Amino acid sequence: MTERWPFWAGGLALAGVMLLHWLTVHRMMSVSSRFSAVVDRVRWGRAEPVEALSPEELREALLAATQAEAGVGVPAPPASLPVPQEGIRPPQPVSTHLLFLGGLGVGGLLGATLSGTFSVTTLLRSSELEALAGGSGPGQAALLVGGGALVGFGTRMAGGCTSGHGLCGVSRLQPGSLLATAAFFGVGVAVSFALAGLT
Amino acid sequence: MREKVFVALVAVALGFSLNRIGFSSWDEVHAMFLFSDLRLFLTFASAVGFLAVAWIAVRRVSRPRWAPRPIHRGTVLGGALFGLGWAIAGACPAVALVQIGEGQLGALFTLGGVLLGNLVYSVVHERWLRWDTARCDT
Repeated sequence: MTERWPFWAGGLALAGVMLLHWLTVHRMMSVSSRFSAVVDRVRWGRAEPVEALSPEELREALLAATQAEAGVGVPAPPASLPVPQEGIRPPQPVSTHLLFLGGLGVGGLLGATLSGTFSVTTLLRSSELEALAGGSGPGQAALLVGGGALVGFGTRMAGGCTSGHGLCGVSRLQPGSLLATAAFFGVGVAVSFALAGLT
Repeated sequence: MREKVFVALVAVALGFSLNRIGFSSWDEVHAMFLFSDLRLFLTFASAVGFLAVAWIAVRRVSRPRWAPRPIHRGTVLGGALFGLGWAIAGACPAVALVQIGEGQLGALFTLGGVLLGNLVYSVVHERWLRWDTARCDT
């Protein structure tokens, strides 16, 4: 075990990173939303930039999106209703999302290298996970794919993960974030005790 | 371009911090969930505390437009499924990438799973659910 940061230093670092993201990128940090954006880009292709649309096209696109979300029975808004021009922020391009996700890997590489713990292993470096998988490589891979799929499904369903809900939402006392965070920490504790009973 | 530089720097700082805290270690995450080592819980709680103070300061000097994060029908079930996956794979979405950077190539399976689960939910949502999950990044 290598020397870890004391809790207050780790807390300061995480809070600093979230604050820095808001101050420089002007968006709340949300890692799971970036995954969603990458997945949507693969599914739907490149989105037309908002600036390139006429007000009529924008109105039609907003109506289509509303109907996709709320059902096709939603009537079109009257033509006199102004299309909102302000407050629509163009989404970041997929290259920015990939840069962020790649940056996380570079950060992990830096941390491991500077602390002298870098090494390449085909599986996770965890004696407990190894025991859980019965010492089998394919077993561990199956656990990781299955666990990862639950993480991807659940974070998109809840609309956030540890960064967006857990840190940025809870620190602003947002009700959805408080409840989602209680749910994922609560279930994480319960399942970990169950897994510890298995091994 | 400026935004891309900031995004990259923040991401590297987050990945580095998660590694140095130990959030990217399956065993240490489980020591947290089993209450056998409270350091990660305290790290998380103190980060929330520091951030709460930071947001108060931000509100003092500007009027940020933050999207509210209301409770919706996917909040509890989505959070619970995420907690289940986190306990099994030992990774939240960011950590899967940090683990790959550390040379723990098994996390490529986790990353594939996260992308797959995200894709499956987007299809399920469109076909059957269609509730507003709100967004984190505004």
